[in-house]
Amino acid sequence: MNRRQFIKGTALLLNSSLIGSLPRSRPAESYPVTLLPMASYEIDLSREIASAFSKDGLVVKGKRVILKPNFVEVHPGRPINTHIQVIANVAEACLKLGASAVIVGEASGHRRDPWFSVLNPDLRAVLDKRVKCVDLNHGDAVRVANRGLRTGLSSFYIAEPVMRGDILISLPKLKTHHWMGVTLSLKNLFGVLPGIYYGWPKNLLHFRGIDNSILDLAETIKVHYTVIDGVVGMEGDGPIMGRAKRAGALIMSPFSLAADATAARLMGFDPERIPYLATAGRFMPGLNGSHISFRGENPKRFATRFDCLDEFKSMRGGPFW
Amino acid sequence: MSIIQKGKKILAQRNSLGLEPFVERLASLFLREGGCPYGEGGKASPEPTILSLLALFAAGPHEDKANSLIPWILKYQTENGSIGINLMDYGWGLWLTAYFAVFCHHYTLSDRLENAMKFLQSFKSVTLMRDPKAKQDDSIIGWPWVPGTFGWVEPTAWAVIAFNVCGMEQNPRALEGRRFLLDRCISSGGWNYGNTELNDRELLPFWDTTALALLALQGTSEEKRLSLSLELLEKNQDKINSLLGMAWTFLALKVYGRDTGRLRSKLISVMQTLNDDDFNAAHYAIGIIALSGKRVLTP
Repeated sequence: MNRRQFIKGTALLLNSSLIGSLPRSRPAESYPVTLLPMASYEIDLSREIASAFSKDGLVVKGKRVILKPNFVEVHPGRPINTHIQVIANVAEACLKLGASAVIVGEASGHRRDPWFSVLNPDLRAVLDKRVKCVDLNHGDAVRVANRGLRTGLSSFYIAEPVMRGDILISLPKLKTHHWMGVTLSLKNLFGVLPGIYYGWPKNLLHFRGIDNSILDLAETIKVHYTVIDGVVGMEGDGPIMGRAKRAGALIMSPFSLAADATAARLMGFDPERIPYLATAGRFMPGLNGSHISFRGENPKRFATRFDCLDEFKSMRGGPFW
Repeated sequence: MSIIQKGKKILAQRNSLGLEPFVERLASLFLREGGCPYGEGGKASPEPTILSLLALFAAGPHEDKANSLIPWILKYQTENGSIGINLMDYGWGLWLTAYFAVFCHHYTLSDRLENAMKFLQSFKSVTLMRDPKAKQDDSIIGWPWVPGTFGWVEPTAWAVIAFNVCGMEQNPRALEGRRFLLDRCISSGGWNYGNTELNDRELLPFWDTTALALLALQGTSEEKRLSLSLELLEKNQDKINSLLGMAWTFLALKVYGRDTGRLRSKLISVMQTLNDDDFNAAHYAIGIIALSGKRVLTP
């Protein structure tokens, strides 16, 4: 058994033993998801993003907004990270709507050097000068009680800038994941935990079960809005070694799980067959496709089929629309 | 002789190396109550504090500045010799004990050093039975970031550096630590955080961890095996633009007597123009150590 097999085994074991203790799902409601076409990253969609925020009741005026992209590491030609133009568009939308501060923060999971995430000059060059970038790996952290307790951890240390923010917007990348099937908004929360506590990679979360860690963080940290970069995602052996796969849209919702479940369906996966998403559906709204109301484009337009490793083929589903 | 007096004596023996502007900028972050934060407005934290002390040692003499940090960091050492990141919550950031040991060595805090090294010898990563099909040998013990997890390149390299600097390079843990690092070396050269490949595909090396591992392995009989990694840094040095990447690369290439090209002038330029928002005291301190030319992280 190698380390990867060990981690996979740990995740499944811990997960299966805890599923029964989860709360029941909420009564059916309608959860909005906006699909915003973005044919290329050069297009300025800040106005449309701002409009979607307003329609969804996201009030950022006078608020301190934290944008949490997904920066893992940099491999030339591989769409591993949230595209800088998506970050810039969302930042611009927040400024247009009167945010008092917009901060891009990330605790990159593999690379300690912030040059490869928030200090990168390419990112700085596309951001409005009023936007600040903060390395969440190094600095103060706040201890917060773990509201999920599936990992057995009583608390998490969350980067202090995240805790000082009024609004947290998650900006993940649409990708397959070699351990979890897919990685989206819920998994993106690993990046609010500072590396100086959790290391590079955050191996403690692997040992406690990646599913469990995702679910604990989802219950502990409030994400106010999700914008998934599905313009060019990653299929196959994601989240690092896969291939580029175009979906051509931003997937947006004030409900993280609704965004993730929709993104999974657009990739050709049934979110109810992805264990951590299915479990999240017991305490978060938005898993059930019939409860999602689409704004903007019809999801059929973007529905595609992301290739995946053999072990995740049983998670496939659809067509959903 | 008190700890403070010892520190003063050592620092007084060193000559200034013209690094004053950098030292002054770093010291501007030191807090009146002791310690150094990562950045402006932050709370004091062990990593930037220890690295600042090593930078002051490298660029010395700066006894007054060091004296504002030493009592603060010494409070972090626990009875078992370790130090962590959080005084109120033991168990986080124990990897910092290796940094602390290097600091204790240079400031001749013998008792503190002895306890720290005792802890480092007992602090082990989780291992697995060797899988004969796997290229990576998960049975080799290294050092983890968090107790009860696997070993990784950076904490293992720092621990090996601590053993080397303190003259304990033949300690069985140091020898196994070197084996760990060699096992985690990517076939075509370099290291990343600690996985060489994924599903039979080679992963990419990082500049900082490659340099750190090379520093840890310097002076061993394995130097011939390191040539690919040294060439990787030498060949790519013009592509390295971050303060952290340049500082570590400069340190490693210098120690091995390799060509450092324009790295020094690039590093100086970055350190001179770094704005306050992007200032990381820990990374800046490594920059000062690199520019000083002192052997702080190698014997």
